[in-house]
Amino acid sequence: MIDPPARRGPGPRPPVRTTGRQVVVFADRDDVRVDWSAAGVTDVADSRDFPAERVPAQTLREAGATVFARLGIAVVAAGPDQVGALRAAAPPVLSVSPELVHRVLPEDLTGYVRGYRDGVADLAGRVLGAGGGDGAAAPPLFQDTAAATWGVQAVRATTSPWTGSGIRVAVLDTGLDLAHPDFAGRAVTAESFVPGEAAQDGHGHGTHCVGTACGPQSPPTGPRYGVASGAEVFVGKVLGDEGSGDDGGILAGIDWAVANGCAVISMSLGADVAEAHPPYSAAGRRALQQGSLIVAAAGNNADRENGELGFVGAPANSVEILAVGALDPALTVAWFSARSLSAPGGEVDVAAPGVDVLSTWPMPDRYHTISGTSMATPHVAGVAALWAEATGRRGYELWATLTQAAQRLTEPSVDVGSGLVLAPQEGAGGG
Amino acid sequence: MSLPLTPVSVTVDDGHLAQVETVAQALRDSGMQVERVLGSLGVITGRAPAGARPSLLAVEGVTSVDEQLRFSLPPPDAPVQ
Repeated sequence: MIDPPARRGPGPRPPVRTTGRQVVVFADRDDVRVDWSAAGVTDVADSRDFPAERVPAQTLREAGATVFARLGIAVVAAGPDQVGALRAAAPPVLSVSPELVHRVLPEDLTGYVRGYRDGVADLAGRVLGAGGGDGAAAPPLFQDTAAATWGVQAVRATTSPWTGSGIRVAVLDTGLDLAHPDFAGRAVTAESFVPGEAAQDGHGHGTHCVGTACGPQSPPTGPRYGVASGAEVFVGKVLGDEGSGDDGGILAGIDWAVANGCAVISMSLGADVAEAHPPYSAAGRRALQQGSLIVAAAGNNADRENGELGFVGAPANSVEILAVGALDPALTVAWFSARSLSAPGGEVDVAAPGVDVLSTWPMPDRYHTISGTSMATPHVAGVAALWAEATGRRGYELWATLTQAAQRLTEPSVDVGSGLVLAPQEGAGGG
Repeated sequence: MSLPLTPVSVTVDDGHLAQVETVAQALRDSGMQVERVLGSLGVITGRAPAGARPSLLAVEGVTSVDEQLRFSLPPPDAPVQ
């Protein structure tokens, strides 16, 4: 699924130049008073000894070593033969690397011209393709297999060693089919915030979303469709069996999830209003401060085949709530997936599989395949739970981790934000 | 008192998060029928007469009074949800 490296333009890349000095990174930046006499280095300058910690250029050139205390980094005049002695220095050293010469990036006119040509070709394809119908859609990169849905493959849940174990994930929706065989034996806490209705799902939407976020690693029948198979499930029914609900129940569900320490709160719901709704902004911010990340569907109000790009609705258009767009199996933006608003908070933050998504449905159907940013959102919630387990991060840190680790796409950022969320892989927990 | 009531969400400011119950009582005194006091979020939900917004906004500790949004899913057999 990763394209081969693109050509970098004519000719070989220029060689990397070094200065002959070494850059030493200390494991702990708190106390880096070092003695490098064993490595033959004397005359150590320390940024703390200069006014405003500004080390003069002349000192940098002439000192045997310059320590940048705030960074826990030193630049040392030492040849390759002294690297071993530098590594052995106390306090513990994380790395020793040759100092590189950096330069202003050269202007590459051929790259500009090539980009211009590609842009014109793309525009021609879109304009002519829209009219004539011969604009072939991108071939799918993923497909459902007997082992796993395309969605859990695309977010790399299938190769992640993490399951969301020990992490509480809340799905605020139409409830869950509590007798569904795929959730037999799972820790499920269910609560209804809809007056007069139990948490049992009488619609199907909630059962589908819970399945994607937290479905089992090996379902009794059919392919794997769930991301965080080891997570503890909190089902908050905030939409009634007929599919609707209002702030009162939804905010009560968020409050309940935060009070129960859910690291992730998944909300596949939205209203087509173009302004952030203040109660959700406050709720999102206070949830983050208490270690709960809210992810919400960007909305399905686009009709891209007819030129309607839509906009991110509430609650996803609050700054403090992570908005999720939908991708198809070619990792192009889904035709219904809403575009970012220009107002702050109205951005699509990340994207996830949301077209032809198979997941659980109330019995006796058992499974159902549907599309929507509602289906993309629980993929992100599940991936967030895996990162929460792998790194221990919560709140804003977890948000940053999700966007940092997302796979960048060639689709516009107004549609997919930082790109496709990806699950942590082996080794991701360290550091 | 036969005025129609509108569902509202009242957001409490950061300085009054520890006094959410006090704010809720003041909202009741200003004509709001309080249904839920959400302590973790600092939000109070309920119903209020259509013209009560200015008096609710005037309550100490209130930063925003908003008519509740209503959310509706498509029917279960819709292909796009």
